[in-house]
Amino acid sequence: MDIKKLISGLHTYERKVLPLLERFSSVPELAEHSHLQEVEVMRALQWMGNKNLIALREEQKEIISLDKNGEAYKAQGLPETRFLRAMSGIGREASLQEIAKAAKIGQEEIQICLGALRQKAAITIKPGKELLALMTSHGAELAKKESLEEQFLRRTFPCERKDLREEELFAFEQLRRRKSIIRLETKKLKYASLTPLGKEALAYGIGKESTSDRLTPAMLKSGAWEHTSFRSFDVAINVPAITAARKHPYARFLDEIRSRLIGLGFTEMFGPIVETEFWDMDALFMPQFHSARDIHGAYFVKEPKYGSVPEELMARVKASHEIGKGTTSRGWRYAFDAQRTKRNILRTQGTALSARMLASPELKIPGKYFSISRCFRPDVIDATHLPDFNQVEGIIIEEGLTFQHLKGMLRMFAEEFAQAKEIKIKPGYFPFTEPSAEIMAKHPELGWIELGGSGIFRPELVKPLLGKEISVLAWGIGIDRIAMFNLGIKDIRQLFSHDLEYLRNAKAV
Amino acid sequence: MPTITFSLKDLQELVGKKLTPDEVGRLVEFGKGEMKQFTKETDEVTVDFDDTNLPYLWSVEGVARLFRGVLGMQKGFSRVTLKKGEYSIIVDESVESVRPFVAGMVVKGKKIDERLLKQLIQLQEKLCESYGKRRSKVAMGIYPFDKITFPVHYRAVKPESARFVPLDFSKEMSLGEILEEHPKGKEYAFILKGKQLYPLLADSKGKALSFPPIINSAETGKINIGEERFFVEVTGTDREAAELCLNIAAYALSERGFEVYGVIVVQGNKKTITPSLQEEKIKVPPEHVKQLFGLELGKGEIKTLLEKAGFEVNSSGTVIVPPYRRDILHAYDVVEDIGIMHGYESIGEKALISYTAGGTSPKAKLSNLLRELAIGLGFQEVMSPVLSNKGILHTNMSLGNDAEAWPGGFSTIEIENFMSETYSSVRSWLTPILMEFLSKNNHVGYPQKIFEIGTASVQQSGKAIDHEKIAFAAAHEKAGYTEVRQILDYIMRMLNIPFTVEEIEHGSFIPGRAGAVIAHGKTIALLGEIHPKVLTRWGIIVPVAAVEINVGEILIAGMATDNKR
Repeated sequence: MDIKKLISGLHTYERKVLPLLERFSSVPELAEHSHLQEVEVMRALQWMGNKNLIALREEQKEIISLDKNGEAYKAQGLPETRFLRAMSGIGREASLQEIAKAAKIGQEEIQICLGALRQKAAITIKPGKELLALMTSHGAELAKKESLEEQFLRRTFPCERKDLREEELFAFEQLRRRKSIIRLETKKLKYASLTPLGKEALAYGIGKESTSDRLTPAMLKSGAWEHTSFRSFDVAINVPAITAARKHPYARFLDEIRSRLIGLGFTEMFGPIVETEFWDMDALFMPQFHSARDIHGAYFVKEPKYGSVPEELMARVKASHEIGKGTTSRGWRYAFDAQRTKRNILRTQGTALSARMLASPELKIPGKYFSISRCFRPDVIDATHLPDFNQVEGIIIEEGLTFQHLKGMLRMFAEEFAQAKEIKIKPGYFPFTEPSAEIMAKHPELGWIELGGSGIFRPELVKPLLGKEISVLAWGIGIDRIAMFNLGIKDIRQLFSHDLEYLRNAKAV
Repeated sequence: MPTITFSLKDLQELVGKKLTPDEVGRLVEFGKGEMKQFTKETDEVTVDFDDTNLPYLWSVEGVARLFRGVLGMQKGFSRVTLKKGEYSIIVDESVESVRPFVAGMVVKGKKIDERLLKQLIQLQEKLCESYGKRRSKVAMGIYPFDKITFPVHYRAVKPESARFVPLDFSKEMSLGEILEEHPKGKEYAFILKGKQLYPLLADSKGKALSFPPIINSAETGKINIGEERFFVEVTGTDREAAELCLNIAAYALSERGFEVYGVIVVQGNKKTITPSLQEEKIKVPPEHVKQLFGLELGKGEIKTLLEKAGFEVNSSGTVIVPPYRRDILHAYDVVEDIGIMHGYESIGEKALISYTAGGTSPKAKLSNLLRELAIGLGFQEVMSPVLSNKGILHTNMSLGNDAEAWPGGFSTIEIENFMSETYSSVRSWLTPILMEFLSKNNHVGYPQKIFEIGTASVQQSGKAIDHEKIAFAAAHEKAGYTEVRQILDYIMRMLNIPFTVEEIEHGSFIPGRAGAVIAHGKTIALLGEIHPKVLTRWGIIVPVAAVEINVGEILIAGMATDNKR
């Protein structure tokens, strides 16, 4: 690597630490002399390590330091020494209580003293009414001397275990067994040393180039940028993730469907979600006794209970239901309820919009229409059912269209919406189409799926709404399955997910 | 959509041909059915039938009939010959306002076995539940013939004036008690709600047969394996539907080897022989086949296909519809069957004729533009169900009643037959929906900036009105009025709509920090800082500011501004 480029990429921390490595190697030393925090030194070392300027070595060290009691004994002497010294003052034979008082030793420490001193044969214990201690001559000798342990306590801490002399090691082992005198910790320490490249960089001189971290408006104004070199970055480095606002995945999917349909020459239809039974069902020639029309098939609105329906049109629909008036049909032969038809429900099917379009002065013949509509049906919510769902459906109206055109159209849809080259068309049943067909499409990954339903609107439906009989191909696509596949979700409830993390992180492809 | 099950062996015997489960699956498609399952161990086939107007397919006999036609083993239909019998049902005029129609037949000559009994009960149940609209429109009863002394009387009586032991019970009960205590009584009591008199079938000795459409008598209304003579009756509110059900049963039983005897229904001076077995006739112009399917078929071909579908064609070309079908309203219904028998797969495909220019509405375009602006402002789009509830829309928003949510007042549209309280109203505004969203995401990193665009519906002056709305919510430590006001300003500036903001009192917002946005003389938006009471109710842990805009009003205001230019 070009040494110049390498040097220009050095961060301020690195510039401070690198020269110090000629003299120091440990993090605390480097921190002290660079006036940086230890963490800053660590980061600098890490970066320079990546750039091969330094070699990092990790060492495990056993560090010995004084604990609470150790600090105290260092100043006062060990309790057993104090014990002996007190006895020297009182006499060679004395009661334990007396000694404790004179040596200022607590009850707990007395026991330790007795143990330690008897082990060294410094005292013997004489049982009796009161426990008496007798100092041996060896004890008297010891009282005058500083013990190995005390010598050890006075050395510099923290220190490394491996640096201890033999007698120090002995004292350390003794003290280590006792409570809160010394601490032994295992530490991983990092040491850095210059590599040949590091030395080369220092020899080249890292102070020669003045570098800046950021371009500032002041530099731009003064022109100082011309004499400034900018620290180069490690562009391969990982940076923290950000999230950004975007369209809802399902909404985006529906947008795509919309634009495809518009591309195929369809015009979008709109209509109310609170709909009368008239447009939702009666206008579609669904008899009022049809099972989809009871309380298990539709949501009924409390208030307003009834909506308005164009009377003249309603009279034609009524006559079509009752006796098939206007066509050669015999009709459903029942008494059409003109009040019920005004009943407000929540739209159960997107086909309501097609009915409205057929009766609308805006209808163009030939014409293609579609809707992506929110529809509602009473359903127990589970992984495959929502009471509130989107339907994609539409019509094609033109003189002379037949089932063969319907098949052609369905093949086009299968390709557009399910990337399917193969389709199967089966006889189906919908109250408003005759003939009716169901479409299966061979999805490249899901295999055969039900793509939707279609058919040719019944004349009993078309005539009252439009005033004449003409071919109207009707189709509906079950979009949810494809949406779930495209969005990679298994549970339909996730279409309307209220999980912000999912929305932020859902893949955009 | 009725689901029926039957034994594959039974089907094969009735068809007269061995069939694999795959073949059955393919053949039921001709009846708009779908085979769901075949269980080898039990030999049981399960089929869903789409067409609710073809009830003859809801038993194995009907399915076998369809298959024989498709396979070319039977042309048209073979008529049931009605035998003359001395059996009658005497109808009292009291049933007129309760359940006016009754019809019946007697069948004899075949020992009933378990398989047949199962099919008979299935057919009866599907006809009554599905086609008969949970027995309200039609109900069917089957009785051992030997326990009945004809004539049978059909009349409506006071709830306490008749008593018998109903099926599954051991004590005698009045009709009123049956409705209150018997499980079937409770299940079907809705049919007789508000009636002063209840229907009763009894024989000439006064022995009760049944309390239609609720329950049979334990003594005279239970069929046992091995019996070979039965009385079958249907009652209902729709003569045509009741007759059809009896015709279907007559055909099914006749094909099983029973002889069918007519029953005379006596209404005053009027005597009618049932089952009617009436055949309808319809003219089917051959050009209809071309109109619907684009097929050029000769008369002979059409006739062959019609006979496969179970129709007959007489010498003048008129199509005769078998008595077990009442789904033919229009010649197209017959033509569809011609197409089905021809095979949908073998019908050609054609490209559409005309090119048309696609497009969408100005409102949809505006909505899309607003979404674009919202995302540009750093707000994440969310999408929620339109169904919500008053707890979310008002209570949690600290509003006393509906009218307080939006200046001008409205009320929320509630659902009469909701299935779950959670989805019992249509959302009337979107801000609460965003609060609900935020409340579920306390654990996710802030700031949280979200928006939703979509329909909210309200009741205003007696009408249901849809409003397309967009609402924004900013939730973070420093969320406040300024932020949402800036959003509003930005959008209005981009759309070139002049507006003013007036301070309003609104339970959902902090007093003095809530505004109504007026443009073109109308309130088109609301904005403010959400009241801590509301945040606490939702359990939201940071301040929230929100703005909700009526897209439809913006469109109108935008057009008005355009016109002035």
